[in-house]
Amino acid sequence: MLRRERAHVEEAPGRGPLGGHHERPDARAKVSGSTRYVADLALPGMLHAAVAVAPVASARVSGLDLASARAVDGVEAVLTAADIPGRNLVGVIFEDQPLLAREKVRMVGERLALVAARTPEAAWAAAHLVHADLEPLPAVHDPVQALEPDAPRVHDAGNLIRTFRVVRGDTARARASVVVEAEYRVGGQEHAYLEPQGCLAIPEGRQRITIVASCQCPFYVQHAVARVLGLPLAAVRVEQAPTGGGFGGKEDYPSEPAACAAVLAFATARPVRFVLPRELDMQVSSKRHAMVIRHRWGADRSGHLRFAEVETVLDAGAYIGISTVVAERANVSSIGPYHVPAVRVSTRVAYTNNLFGGAFRGFGTPQVTWAAEATMDRLARACSLDPLEFRRRNLLDDRRRRLCTGQSLRRPVLARECLERAVALAGWDEFHARPRRQEGPMREGMGIGLALYGCNLHHGGQHLDRSSAVVILQPDGSVVVRVGLTEMGQGNLAACQTIAAQALGVEPAHVQVWQPDTTTVGDSGPTVASRGAHASGMAILNAVDRLRKKLDPVAAELLECGERDVELAGGFARVRTDPDHRVPIARLAGEMASRRIEGISTGWYRSRKRRFDPVTGLGDPYEFYAVACHIARVVVDAELGLVRVTEVSAAHDVGKVIHRDVLEGQIQGGIVQGTGWGTSEELKLDRGRLCNPSFTDYIIPTAADVPSIRIAVVESEGPGGPFGAKGIGEPSLIPTAAAVRNAVVEALGLEIDRLPLTPPTIVEALGNRHPFAWVAEEERVRGRSEEVAAGR
Amino acid sequence: MDVPIQQVIRPATIAEATALLATRPDARPIAGGTDLMVQLRDGRKHISCLVDLDGLGMAEIRRVDEGVEIGASTRMHSIAAASEIRSNFPALAAAAGTIGAWPIQCRATLGGNLVNASPAADTAPALLIAGAVLTAVSTAGTRPLPVAGFFVGPGRTVLMPGELLVSVFLPLAQVPPGCRLVERFVKAGPRREQVIAVVSLAGRAVVRADGTFEEVRLALGSVAPTPVRARRAEAALMGRRPNQETRRGAVQALQHDIAPIDDVRAPASYRRIAAAVLLDRFLLEAARV
Ligand SMILES: Cc1cc2nc3c(=O)[nH]c(=O)nc-3n(C[C@H](O)[C@H](O)[C@H](O)COP(=O)(O)OP(=O)(O)OC[C@H]3O[C@@H](n4cnc5c(N)ncnc54)[C@H](O)[C@@H]3O)c2cc1C
Repeated sequence: MLRRERAHVEEAPGRGPLGGHHERPDARAKVSGSTRYVADLALPGMLHAAVAVAPVASARVSGLDLASARAVDGVEAVLTAADIPGRNLVGVIFEDQPLLAREKVRMVGERLALVAARTPEAAWAAAHLVHADLEPLPAVHDPVQALEPDAPRVHDAGNLIRTFRVVRGDTARARASVVVEAEYRVGGQEHAYLEPQGCLAIPEGRQRITIVASCQCPFYVQHAVARVLGLPLAAVRVEQAPTGGGFGGKEDYPSEPAACAAVLAFATARPVRFVLPRELDMQVSSKRHAMVIRHRWGADRSGHLRFAEVETVLDAGAYIGISTVVAERANVSSIGPYHVPAVRVSTRVAYTNNLFGGAFRGFGTPQVTWAAEATMDRLARACSLDPLEFRRRNLLDDRRRRLCTGQSLRRPVLARECLERAVALAGWDEFHARPRRQEGPMREGMGIGLALYGCNLHHGGQHLDRSSAVVILQPDGSVVVRVGLTEMGQGNLAACQTIAAQALGVEPAHVQVWQPDTTTVGDSGPTVASRGAHASGMAILNAVDRLRKKLDPVAAELLECGERDVELAGGFARVRTDPDHRVPIARLAGEMASRRIEGISTGWYRSRKRRFDPVTGLGDPYEFYAVACHIARVVVDAELGLVRVTEVSAAHDVGKVIHRDVLEGQIQGGIVQGTGWGTSEELKLDRGRLCNPSFTDYIIPTAADVPSIRIAVVESEGPGGPFGAKGIGEPSLIPTAAAVRNAVVEALGLEIDRLPLTPPTIVEALGNRHPFAWVAEEERVRGRSEEVAAGR
Repeated sequence: MDVPIQQVIRPATIAEATALLATRPDARPIAGGTDLMVQLRDGRKHISCLVDLDGLGMAEIRRVDEGVEIGASTRMHSIAAASEIRSNFPALAAAAGTIGAWPIQCRATLGGNLVNASPAADTAPALLIAGAVLTAVSTAGTRPLPVAGFFVGPGRTVLMPGELLVSVFLPLAQVPPGCRLVERFVKAGPRREQVIAVVSLAGRAVVRADGTFEEVRLALGSVAPTPVRARRAEAALMGRRPNQETRRGAVQALQHDIAPIDDVRAPASYRRIAAAVLLDRFLLEAARV
């Protein structure tokens, strides 16, 4: 299925592992089943946690009856808000969310009480027996309605959390002869990680505690646990467990189960394991935000964009979490990689009583990209240009480098390169040159999606944009690396291994990268924003530099050369000008050990300071950017409404390839997850309750739904991180659904402005153009039957 | 989480199994467990004792006079692969081959699919058009149950407590000389594989040499509280040629055979339209083959 362009990436001898595809260090253990995830861990005397939750989205809590829960055989503790030793608070940025509700519940699944018991069955049975007196309160389930003055208030201060803007030029006075308007309703997404949320809390008296957690940021967990237990940070040790998928869902959320387990562990003085059942996990953990996005964009007669107005509302759910950070990124990403002289963007974040919005691969960018690319196609049609030509006229490039915030991109700007590479891979011209099959219900289409992704953290989160590494040279020449960023399946161990091996001139197999632990590295922030390889890699390079201050003098002595002439490559320290003059690194390490020279060093990285005005949205929100272009080819069954994505051609501006398989793995995975989001994954809500909280009815792609994937990797000597690498984790997903949407629109010849494009959505959009539209009339005439007609 | 099962009993004979079921009201048969285990875990069923049907020798596909008999414990993958089924009952073979994916097909049984009585049970429409007759056994004796009256509602059948389904008999289709037989099973859902039917349709058409229908049988899943025969649509097709007018008439009649609802998988209006599409496609194919 996958066509590789391998030839140009084969490693040249002596060049090191960079850009190659040696075996991932975690692959064998994972594939053979020997990796131990949280649910596999057990300790003597360990208890199991469960949580009693609210079944309704908005209510006053007038009483909690714990007697029957406490009576369940095997139950050791049932706790409420009053039993929390520290602060009853979770949440990364704002203090709006209690660990356990006291007076009010604001979402389905809000925690009311915690249980610890000797078996998971007893714990959950007891949790179900916690009886809460809940007096229903009005609720709001639409983010746009939530912002109306008379809407029920989720929190006392009102439902508007924040407004972000970009205002550049005067859109009202822009001269555009072609103007299009649209309102897009873009649905959320469930992360569908293989491993549900879980952690193990191990107390040592009431002095300190160790948490082993499936998570993307052990430091967030550390802060959350310290706060609920009232402990100093140093008394909370968080070790990242092997993590079976995150996709953003384990950025901030793991703090919540960890805080629960910690409180129970302190109360019982026993280890407590807490693994969320899938259904509850899907209901309560964070989700990609649903957004409502309004556009008014204009172009002149020659097909050049003149202005763009975007008004977005994010559904944050009942607590802020990191929704404002998502909105901050969505806000400045609203226009995509296009040159637009006048821009007005507003992005509002609204409380509702719906699912908890949070981080998800792309972090707000996929939604606004979906809308932007839909509008680009609309405008192209309105200008009587094809979507490819219209994009060619408007893309940022080395001459027109200013993005909507006014930031001037650093050269080279590779948007055009990505577009043309994807166009070539997809066979765009051939596809559009030949006549399309029109008999029968199957319709073919091809669509483009382009994305501009700001690498690493936004200006607003710059205080977190630092990271720590420790490199330890062992006496046998092997190397231990510890970093503060996590492996969650994406390949960060392989990336760090490659970077360290490249810098130290050793075989990748001689480098062991270990999962982070808050007692071994400094706070490195979260593994998000496609920053894993970047942030950990930069810190590793810094640590290697410092290590060489101790290593090079010894090497110089053995090689009888100057310290400056020492070079590390191919497993040797050698003389730069005379590479045959060399000593094995293993010998060098042995020598250092016998001389008792410290073979350990730390490394640190922090991003450069940038200027950005949060009021106008002008300035440099990100340090550098990656461009991606996906072209999707679809076949749509125009009668059943089923979309089949047959092929995606993906061109990515990656700076530099660190590990080829990891890179391609990210691109393939992003495309599959993006396809699912765009076509079949739908969070169906009934008054804030998720109606499809399982994989029976939350429809992710199967292997049979995976398109054939073609990849073009665009490398450059431009700005970037370690060896010039940019992030790939998120750019790999962002444009897919947009490309699919545009392909479906081309196939059917009608606009569809709702995501996902499920069969019912498409059939509804077809309206009277569907040959059997008339049968739905029968339904209206006959009314609804009472009985459940479809079940398992 | 585990399931609240206290005991699993493995009887060696059908008589032993029915005796157990007659005396233990807390016991339930388990075949492949692909429905039951899920329901136990979800807390939708409360049973403490399982009677495992695996040792009862009910997993055979046999050619008998005038038909084929399938043991209730026959796995879907055996049904999908059996030449006896593929050549005589292609809709059933196709249906069995679309249940879940390969690992599920290696566990899921025909009996379990029927007794679970989901409106979406994929083998049900195929058995309805075949006019299958089920055999139930209990300590009270053996009784034949035509599949047409077997399903009562979602999750409910005419089977009585303590009664075991042992086999399914499918009579061979009667095809008069000069006629040809077209039989299909199709389902519509939200992705390509691993689909629980949003609508399924099994169709059998006996087409005369002149292209008119000698007989048409249609049955659908997920469009009513039980899998249903579409008798009105069948009547609208009898003796006719599947031209556009006939097809439209059949689609119209079909709307009175079905009573779909809105649920988490699809709105009723979509189910009506998709049922129409599946019927229309079947008829077009019957005309072509
Ligand atoms: C991932 C997955 C995908 C699935 N996909 C599909 C699908 O696409 N289409 C579909 O139709 N179904 C699907 N199913 C449902 C299920 O696999 C089928 O209904 C299957 O045929 C059930 O058979 P079983 O042997 O596993 O039944 P079990 O779970 O063992 O039993 C089901 C019920 O029947 C009773 N029972 C079983 N055998 C007998 C008997 N001989 N006499 C009396 N009572 C009996 C049991 O007591 C129980 O109540 C899926 C299930 C899963 C888990």
